[in-house]
Amino acid sequence: MARVEYQASLEALEADLQEQGGVVLRAVAGAINALETQDVELCDEVIAFDDEIDDRYHRIERSIGELLAQQAPVATDLRLVLAVLHSSIHLERIGDQSVTVAKLTKLSAALEQHTELVEGLCEMGTRAAEMVRRALDSFAARDVDGARELVDLDELIDRTNRAVVDKVLAMSASPGMQEWGMRMIVVARCIERIGDNAVDIGEQTEYLITGEFHEFSDASH
Amino acid sequence: MTAPELDNLRLAQLAPAETGDVRGREVVFAVEGLEVSYGGAAALRDVTLDIRRNYVTAFIGPSGCGKSTLIRCFNRMNDLIPGAVVSGKVDYHGRDLYGPSVDPVEVRRRIGMVFQKPNPFPKSIYDNIAFGPRVLKLTKDLDERVERTLRHAALWDEVKDRLSENALGLSGGQQQRLCIARALAVEPDVILMDEPASALDPISTSRIEDLIHELKREYTIVIVTHNMQQAGRVADMTAFFSVEVREDGTGRHGTLVEYDQTTKIFTNPSDRRTEDYVTGRFG
Repeated sequence: MARVEYQASLEALEADLQEQGGVVLRAVAGAINALETQDVELCDEVIAFDDEIDDRYHRIERSIGELLAQQAPVATDLRLVLAVLHSSIHLERIGDQSVTVAKLTKLSAALEQHTELVEGLCEMGTRAAEMVRRALDSFAARDVDGARELVDLDELIDRTNRAVVDKVLAMSASPGMQEWGMRMIVVARCIERIGDNAVDIGEQTEYLITGEFHEFSDASH
Repeated sequence: MTAPELDNLRLAQLAPAETGDVRGREVVFAVEGLEVSYGGAAALRDVTLDIRRNYVTAFIGPSGCGKSTLIRCFNRMNDLIPGAVVSGKVDYHGRDLYGPSVDPVEVRRRIGMVFQKPNPFPKSIYDNIAFGPRVLKLTKDLDERVERTLRHAALWDEVKDRLSENALGLSGGQQQRLCIARALAVEPDVILMDEPASALDPISTSRIEDLIHELKREYTIVIVTHNMQQAGRVADMTAFFSVEVREDGTGRHGTLVEYDQTTKIFTNPSDRRTEDYVTGRFG
């Protein structure tokens, strides 16, 4: 095996992505947990934790800049580097969505709540976190089928998101619930975006393996 | 919104046109089942590929893979090597390049060649360019032809005030561009380049590469290069050759592994051997 250092750099890069994924999953779990328990302190922790996620993204971006400049990767190596870069950006966005969930939870803590809706949102969040886990595992295992299955999981989240909106609209007759309901629509949207970002990582896995990029689902649907 | 409505959107009309379909391009060289041997030992076997007009086609591969042997088949340079035997088909614009009625000298006029080491004649800059046209009796408006050719090779501004000086006084990069100009002076159709920049510094190399980009508008270019990044930078099509060791222990020969658009070769090659070579994992 030639280019030992280069190979080691590629492996380190991929390990960094998986580590970033682990950190992001902690942020998602923290945000959902805080929503469920209305834990304002945990919300603050999730918000502060975002710097760690951003740092990891920037570290990966820097490593990729150096690899491109010094090693000029091509073929599978080039696809790996590009797929890691994109996936790392998607992970960073998932971190941002978790922060928004935490901020909205904090803002809504003093408001009257609808317990059933909170449970629904938390279930949605758990599913989204599972999708992120699945996306990272498929990437690591070069499992294109596993990556493609993310679309089906995403459909479940999308459906729950639509149900949340319907429920909030139904609640809007009750004036005390309006502010809380509006905030929870945004929370649902954030969780839904986490699912979308997991699908995006799945698309990168397919590109890495096949060399062809295509969107798993059409944005217009 | 239904599909026909979408077609009418201005956005759809702004979509870029499909670029250069490879198959639609005129074939300059059609190579089929080509084998070249030196003194009875096969150097290159079973090569089939088409070289297309106004494309830069790069041949890459490790030493001994037969890439230089193949490029030399295109202007019958192998004829000059004792013991070299070429079999199989090399058609040039549909005509058998090795047919009995083909004059190798005429072939070399239409198919110019530039070598690894610049090899200007020990004559003036002007005479280097004028040499070919004089031999071919293309002496009408010779001064204009020399100027035009030197401009074409992006050398005119550097040499216009010293055309009568010896070409050997030029820098290596200038000498190489002079050799390209010398090839252009007889109005060829194809330019073959056998590692044209491997003896040059990076600045001279990038000048040659810029020149290759310019020249492909009018000429068909085939380039052999050891520098994979160079192939990536200049070539539209890339052919990867490898060395095959014969199982019966009679030696080794070059073989064409993969031939495709350069972007494909460098992003998603089909053959594992190409992948290993372009990513540097050979050996």
